[in-house]
Amino acid sequence: MSRITAEVAPPTPSRFGAAARSTPVAMAVIVVGLIVLFGVLSPNGAFFRVSNLSTITLNVAVTMLLAVGITFILAAGELDLSIGSNVVLSSVIAAKVLVAVSGTYDEVRAGEYPDLAIGIVAGTIAAVLAGTIFGAINGLLVTRLRISSFIVTLGTMGIGTGLAYVVSNGVNVAYVPRVLQTSFGIQKLFGVVPYPMIVVLIISAVLWYTLRKTRFGLYTLAIGSSREAAERAGLRSMRHVLMLFVMMGALSGVAAVLDLTRFATTNIGGHQTTALAAIAAVVIGGTSLFGGRATIAGSMVAALIPVILGTGLVILGVPSFYQLIVVGAILIAAVFIDQRRRERLNA
Amino acid sequence: MVLERRAARTSEFVIEAVDIVKRFGHVQALSGASLQVRPGEVLALIGDNGAGKSTLTKIVCGALAPDSGRLAFWGQATSVTSIRHAQELGVETVYQDLALAPDLSVAENMFLGREPIKPGIFGGWPPALDRRRMRQAAEEAIAAAGISTLNSVDRAVRDLSGGQRQAIAVARAVMWATTAILMDEPTAALGTKQTDLVYDSIRSAAKRGLAVVVISHDIPRMLDLADRIAVMRQGRTVATLPARDLTLSDVVTLMLGGKTRGEAA
Repeated sequence: MSRITAEVAPPTPSRFGAAARSTPVAMAVIVVGLIVLFGVLSPNGAFFRVSNLSTITLNVAVTMLLAVGITFILAAGELDLSIGSNVVLSSVIAAKVLVAVSGTYDEVRAGEYPDLAIGIVAGTIAAVLAGTIFGAINGLLVTRLRISSFIVTLGTMGIGTGLAYVVSNGVNVAYVPRVLQTSFGIQKLFGVVPYPMIVVLIISAVLWYTLRKTRFGLYTLAIGSSREAAERAGLRSMRHVLMLFVMMGALSGVAAVLDLTRFATTNIGGHQTTALAAIAAVVIGGTSLFGGRATIAGSMVAALIPVILGTGLVILGVPSFYQLIVVGAILIAAVFIDQRRRERLNA
Repeated sequence: MVLERRAARTSEFVIEAVDIVKRFGHVQALSGASLQVRPGEVLALIGDNGAGKSTLTKIVCGALAPDSGRLAFWGQATSVTSIRHAQELGVETVYQDLALAPDLSVAENMFLGREPIKPGIFGGWPPALDRRRMRQAAEEAIAAAGISTLNSVDRAVRDLSGGQRQAIAVARAVMWATTAILMDEPTAALGTKQTDLVYDSIRSAAKRGLAVVVISHDIPRMLDLADRIAVMRQGRTVATLPARDLTLSDVVTLMLGGKTRGEAA
């Protein structure tokens, strides 16, 4: 049997998931192509400079983290539009806690943070906790009230943003310590890899392993592929979907921490299109919007495309607005090509 | 497992469902349905559309909870609380709609919910699926079921034909069952040759000592395949008789509500 298998099966090693074969590779080719293109076209090879490339990785870190997380949500056939507003709300809460714990009002106003270490720990915990609770609420609404996740998270997107304004009175939290930024947010390992990116890469590796190698990952795909089949096999799909939203919420909390260290301020008006950008990256990367097929590597690589385009166009002196247009076109093209490929497979 | 249960048994029946009642809103799906099957026996469940065959099997396999009635396995009264619970009792089900996840591979589908985990470096940590074992066992089960058209158990179910999917669903049930297999229209989507294959698997499963309950509209084939025929009508089991004593017209008469020669005499 296995001998016959070896002869007839497609040349790709079968241990890579049957579904997500070529898309991540194709995306990697596109990314490398873009880098080479911009590198060659840019004056004095400015695009190739290490500082430029590490700025790109820094700019992509938060989107990449969210894209990796939302890969799981899409894999299960669900959607989460609220992650951007979760990041904003969690960062506001984290900043409030951080500033409150780090010192008295007069101290922080004078730029002194006597209890900075405890403040950072408390702020980080607050961010992840807030994000997790946000995700749990999404998950509970989806699984208990059986409302589609599109609607639930469209609703909580507004609620989260509104709450962030309420908590912060509509202004960014003041006196967030600069040191977050100078000693972590924009720091680079060996002067190349930004610290936030290292966090993102470690989490992504863990999540890649989880999706490809563990029961949790397989169950996510099974539920996305056919919820009925999963339940008939004895899987508890509702509980699993709840856990996915909780996980997504926790990752949004981590993203909030990274955001806070990156800018040393909250970003109340920001992240309005973050969820859509992350979802676009995931779909461009080869994950099915309808569940059942997913690739973490594809999401990570595809998340790079908008940032590379944006930076490259700026260096070439082209208005970066074109980045939006190009990414939109790539999204539509990627989904079209993927559909065609699958139709051919099924024919 | 099977032997242990046999030693402990207090009834000649592996599965005994008595006076099962089930309503869905205004619809009385079952009003006193019964089913009894012995180890090594093939029982055909026959009835018109809406007679309650599928509902009765779903209650036995834990997919639905009955409103009332008695359910026993090996003579032990048991209320099956979930599909997982029924699986633990050794009961496997082949559903009418097959219940396979199209994006997963054949091997993944065959093990879904019961995947082996690699021993791992630190005592099962990190917990990785043992895909090699899944693949081997799936290949063996498929070879044993006589399925020869499948090139690889790594293929996604989406890419398989209806007949192949059916065969996978049956092979999965045969692989896991230790007590009984319930099959809801296992050959509805199949050609003659594939149907024969499924009937062969049913016979060999029964020979291994499993109880097999088959829902089918193919009465002539059931008269040939089954040891006994249970006929359902309007949510009740109206008769359970040895297949060799029955003719096609007897079964049809029972299905439609008349009296058989036996009852009339």
